[in-house]
Amino acid sequence: MITITDLSKTYGPKQVLVNINLIFEKGKTYGIIGENGAGKTTLFKCIAGIEKYTGSIESKHEILKNQLGFLQTEPYFFSKITGLEYLQLLCNARSVIFKDIENKNVFELPLNQYAITYSTGMKKKLALTAILLQNNDYFILDEPFNGVDIQSNILITEIIHRLKELGKTIIISSHIFSTLNDTCDEIHMIKNGAFIKHVFKEDFGRLEQEMKDFTIGNKIENLDLK
Amino acid sequence: MKFYFSLQFKMLNRQLSDFGILPIIGYFLSLIAFIGLSYLLFYATEFASYIYILIAFGFISKLSDPHRNSFLKNCFSKKKYFQIRLLENLIIGIPFILFMFFRTQYLSAGVILIISGLIAFIDINSKYNYTIPTPFFRYPFEFIVGFRNTFFIFIGNYFLTIMAITVGNFNLGFFSILVVFIICMTFYSTPEREYYVWIFSSNPKKFLYRKIMTAIIFSSLLTLPILISLSIFFPDKIGIILIFQCIGYILLSTIILAKYSDFPNKINFSQSLLLALGCAFPPFLLLLIPMFYSQSVYSLNKILK
Repeated sequence: MITITDLSKTYGPKQVLVNINLIFEKGKTYGIIGENGAGKTTLFKCIAGIEKYTGSIESKHEILKNQLGFLQTEPYFFSKITGLEYLQLLCNARSVIFKDIENKNVFELPLNQYAITYSTGMKKKLALTAILLQNNDYFILDEPFNGVDIQSNILITEIIHRLKELGKTIIISSHIFSTLNDTCDEIHMIKNGAFIKHVFKEDFGRLEQEMKDFTIGNKIENLDLK
Repeated sequence: MKFYFSLQFKMLNRQLSDFGILPIIGYFLSLIAFIGLSYLLFYATEFASYIYILIAFGFISKLSDPHRNSFLKNCFSKKKYFQIRLLENLIIGIPFILFMFFRTQYLSAGVILIISGLIAFIDINSKYNYTIPTPFFRYPFEFIVGFRNTFFIFIGNYFLTIMAITVGNFNLGFFSILVVFIICMTFYSTPEREYYVWIFSSNPKKFLYRKIMTAIIFSSLLTLPILISLSIFFPDKIGIILIFQCIGYILLSTIILAKYSDFPNKINFSQSLLLALGCAFPPFLLLLIPMFYSQSVYSLNKILK
């Protein structure tokens, strides 16, 4: 379980996260939605301990980050490192024994090629494979479905279900509502750095409709498409 | 095209400013360093012209990054692309060519000129890049990435050792050990993204220890062929070889500590100055190493706990 209490974050005079209070329970998947720049990634970085903040983030582990797998929106790779070496690096970093990679390469990535030559989706799949190999208890997946092909999206969804069964805590951000609908138990909506809505699975349909109505409004008519 | 070069000039000035130095002073110091190091090289060995060509090739080939060139191809017409590539290569090559002219080594100057021109027309497609094997698989990433970027220097360097043995010139062999350590130090000159430090589940002290031990083991692996060869053919010099090998380890450890002393920021001008002083006057390292160590632990504490 991760408990966030009175979390705030400022960049100079700009407040990007405002007094956030959240609980992420064991064995549950949480979706975080919000417009670009709403504060999702900053929140993730605070949980990961990459950004400084005020307030507190607590878990049963003394050092949360050592049990946390963080899939970044745009994973960065060194120019001349192969997929296999990347996986080895992330396992080394957590002192995890690196073995049986051929079977664990579920996305069938060309691991002996330089990771920088991978497509956007392949890079994301490599980064995801790496944090799965680390045997983490908590996962932050920042837009895991972006740029990934349909087959892999199905596989990622199933992986998330399995992680949940194993009692892991998963936090996902996605701009594709259907992916959250398939994977999450709860969705939290963030706007201007503050959480404005909290929705359980049974109300996901209503939330999607509300978002559509609010976002689209009469903008399509305004386009005056002919 | 004019805008492209003025933009490059602005970017270079910004990099120098970020480094903590006025651009004009940066250019002046770079010129002095270039001339000084060139003289030093030609003073140290009679094979300097070969090494000089290799170094020039190393710098010029840095501009052949496939992603960068793919961006240029997207932005400019074919004709302008080649003009830019040629001009850029020449800008890098000209200081080397002028120095060779100054030393009346016209043939070497011509070789560098030809290299500058030819590389502009060589297209490296990153999609089909051959994966260069390395012996460092178990412990990525600095030596894997660094070795793949500089492997041709190592080939040249081992050739230099063979030359040293063939002509019985110990200084040349000694110089090749020095080159290995200088190259290894460049592997640690730029800080990695925070994520690549964050992933480690160790405290700053263990993290630094691990980095330093990896660097010592892998640099030993790269110097080993030279050490063994020189020890066999110059057995009376084993003591000197080992002393300088140890100095190499100390300098390598110092640059690792300097790299993390203000992490995630790059090594700045004042740190570089201190490092240069440490290299020139090794006893100064006794002060420098503890200072960089405590600064590194402090900086890394923000990310590693």
